[in-house]
Amino acid sequence: MNLTDFELRKGDMRSAYGSALVDLGTINKDIVCVGADTTDSLKTKKFGDQFPERFFNIGIAEANLVSIAAGLAIAGKTAFASTYAAFLPGRCLDQIRNAICYPSLDVKLVVSHAGLTVGPDGASHQQIEDLAIMRSIPNIRVLAPADSVSVFKIIKNIAEIPGPFYVRLARPSSAIIYDDSDSIFQIGKANILQDGSDITIIGCGLMVYKALKTAKILKERYNISARIIDSYSLKPLDNDMVLKAGRETGAIITVEEHNIIGGLGSAVAEICSEYHPCYVKRVGVKDTFGESARDSELDILLECYGLTEKEIERVVLSTFDKLKK
Amino acid sequence: MRYLDLKRKIQEIRINAIEGIAEAGSGHPGASFSAAEIMGVLYFRELRHDPSNPTWAGRDFFINSKGHSAPGYYATLAVAGYFPKNEMKDLRKFGSRLQGHPVRYSKLLEHHSLPGVEYSGGSEGIGLSVSIGIALANVLDNKENNVYVLLGDGETNEGQVWEAAMTAPKFKLDNLVAILDRNKIQQDGFTEDIMPLDPVRDKWVAFNWNVLEINGHKVEQIMDALNKASEIKNKPTIIIANTVKGNGIKHMANNPQWHGKAPPNMHIPVLIEELEGEYMIAPSIIAGEKENYEEKIKKVERGGADLIHLDVMDGIFVPNITFLADTIKKLRPITNIPFDAHLMIEKPYDHIEEYINAGCDIITIHAETCDNEKFCYIRDKVMSAGISLGIAINPQTDLPAWAFSYLNDIDVIIVMSVNPGFSGQKFIPDITSKISNLNMTLKMEGYKGYIEADGGIDASTVKRVYDAGARIMVAGSAVFSNSDINTAILQLKHKTNVTLERNLLKKADENSIRKDWIIARKHILIPVANELGIEDELNRL
Repeated sequence: MNLTDFELRKGDMRSAYGSALVDLGTINKDIVCVGADTTDSLKTKKFGDQFPERFFNIGIAEANLVSIAAGLAIAGKTAFASTYAAFLPGRCLDQIRNAICYPSLDVKLVVSHAGLTVGPDGASHQQIEDLAIMRSIPNIRVLAPADSVSVFKIIKNIAEIPGPFYVRLARPSSAIIYDDSDSIFQIGKANILQDGSDITIIGCGLMVYKALKTAKILKERYNISARIIDSYSLKPLDNDMVLKAGRETGAIITVEEHNIIGGLGSAVAEICSEYHPCYVKRVGVKDTFGESARDSELDILLECYGLTEKEIERVVLSTFDKLKK
Repeated sequence: MRYLDLKRKIQEIRINAIEGIAEAGSGHPGASFSAAEIMGVLYFRELRHDPSNPTWAGRDFFINSKGHSAPGYYATLAVAGYFPKNEMKDLRKFGSRLQGHPVRYSKLLEHHSLPGVEYSGGSEGIGLSVSIGIALANVLDNKENNVYVLLGDGETNEGQVWEAAMTAPKFKLDNLVAILDRNKIQQDGFTEDIMPLDPVRDKWVAFNWNVLEINGHKVEQIMDALNKASEIKNKPTIIIANTVKGNGIKHMANNPQWHGKAPPNMHIPVLIEELEGEYMIAPSIIAGEKENYEEKIKKVERGGADLIHLDVMDGIFVPNITFLADTIKKLRPITNIPFDAHLMIEKPYDHIEEYINAGCDIITIHAETCDNEKFCYIRDKVMSAGISLGIAINPQTDLPAWAFSYLNDIDVIIVMSVNPGFSGQKFIPDITSKISNLNMTLKMEGYKGYIEADGGIDASTVKRVYDAGARIMVAGSAVFSNSDINTAILQLKHKTNVTLERNLLKKADENSIRKDWIIARKHILIPVANELGIEDELNRL
């Protein structure tokens, strides 16, 4: 799989989502979209402009939003329901669980503004528990794509697969990692972005980019060969690839813009501890709430909460130290 | 569906539900019983649906948002033919399709769900939003299918209900009908103590819904409201159905204790006796002063009449003349109480269409005016119009042999306890044993319809015919010769109720649960202890 020169191009996950929806709507009249007063921000408005009769703005009423999506699915539609991550999994856990996941309805929950990079809005909006919450509900699949290319392709993919999905997007424009032409995203799979033999770094969402950049540093400064995996599919997880990485590189570092409890790190540790016990170290938000930071200060914010290349590098080195590598 | 057949089906819903709950040892009888008429009317009268093809694209949707009424909902589906009734005994059992709260049917969950269930209930406050989603999709697809959603009143404590209440009018969803089961009780007690809902009507009006308010135990009012809802354009409708939680079993009725409690299994025979003991009072408007019929109908409607008995006399079959079909047609618009038309006319065969078109809900013709062939013709006409068919016999007449081949189609048999023709006659005492013998014979033949006693019924004779097996009692002079019509009807009901209590005690004795029954039933028995002669027994408890 070819990667782009990711230092050069940036893309916006939400725009990719909006474009994918419009494409889907054009070929499939059963695609509908429900929003909650955030449709401009989520770029679902693009779909609404094209297909006004299939677009429903429910206002600031998220429980209502996801339940209406369930009803649309009962009547045979594929319903995309979107708003900010902060307001969906936590606020609507009951509705998502009972009205969507239990009957396994064709509802796609696509949220944006996940993680700390929401920035200025502060901790109330910095959703760092959603992956843990959503992973624990039966029947739903949980995805956290790394860039706009993967978002576009994943949205198109899941529209073809019946049943509920949770897809987590980030707010900021971010580096484009994947080449448009040959990248593939399958549910339950992960992508090896760079092979390596000394250690494995598994990331999801925006942190995949940080992992790739760290890999360069590790190679240049320490001659450490790190395997970098984009685990966009947290559930189902690509167990085979994770276990293989554990066997072949001996240690795994996970990186996520999420609480270290219950997210990607937990998912990886769960599998490894059962099938191939190996050292797993989680990089993420250390079970604490975030805080406001202006857009120009996002790097400072991430540094403060340990979500930087520097932190990954530090963890890799300490892991080597610990394992006497 | 025919009115009386519908009444029987609703009775069957309650019986199946309570049997299931008792077998399970838990469940919600209160909520099942308050909504029995609503579900019955929906499934047997209103919904376009096909139990043999539950996912038929042309179906209307029913969303049972108050999932805890599961036993009543399951019983309704069973009676409607979605699954075998004997499966009700598996309610809440491990591995059962009858989960504690209903589960949307799918291949994935086929071992835990029943065909026909569209929505997984149990968590309150979600169903109205889900219904909006379905209604939106139906609009999008240009489908005429309606969505009916049953809401509990306690359920509307949930804020999400009001999010949904704002949403449906925004999208002008006239294909959505919500029915609020306003039984005024929730788990911890009365709704107005826990979280007041009133003025509930004003709230929904303020949210821009078309609001109708009815007695949710009167099937004719439910049907009427549903008809009105279908005529409203560009607005969703909510029917506030005032109901009694636990309605049907007196000691459970309006009693918060019975929100989620199962009766002991050994009470079941007595409870079934009570449910089967439901009766109707049908005032005959030809009785009393010769004031106008409209006035009389309005009076007995206020007084709690269940049916309006219309004695049609042609001056040939009986010596008197009262009114014919044209009068019934004129009276029809003034009430939605079912019209129980008793045709004492020489040639019903020639005139049956007129009575069908006049708006009768029950049409009874006299056995003496018919033979097998004529009756067969009348049956086809009446039944295909969705009207209950009855056959009447004079005091000297026995039910003709040919009539027995129609027992599946006959909804009511009127046994005359006077010679027909005039009101105000004296009850013929022998009729009691005639009714009771007929009742026994009919039961053995598998007859599920009603026996109606007509003639000389008053406070002293009503208990005799009721005891003998009549469940519809026509009352003429006893109602209209009384200066206070309300009291007159109440008195008839009181006498019947005391008789029922006596029968239930007898049944409790037969099942060796007398003491247990009296304890459970204490607050109902105390006011009638004197009449039942159980004062000492109650005092000793």
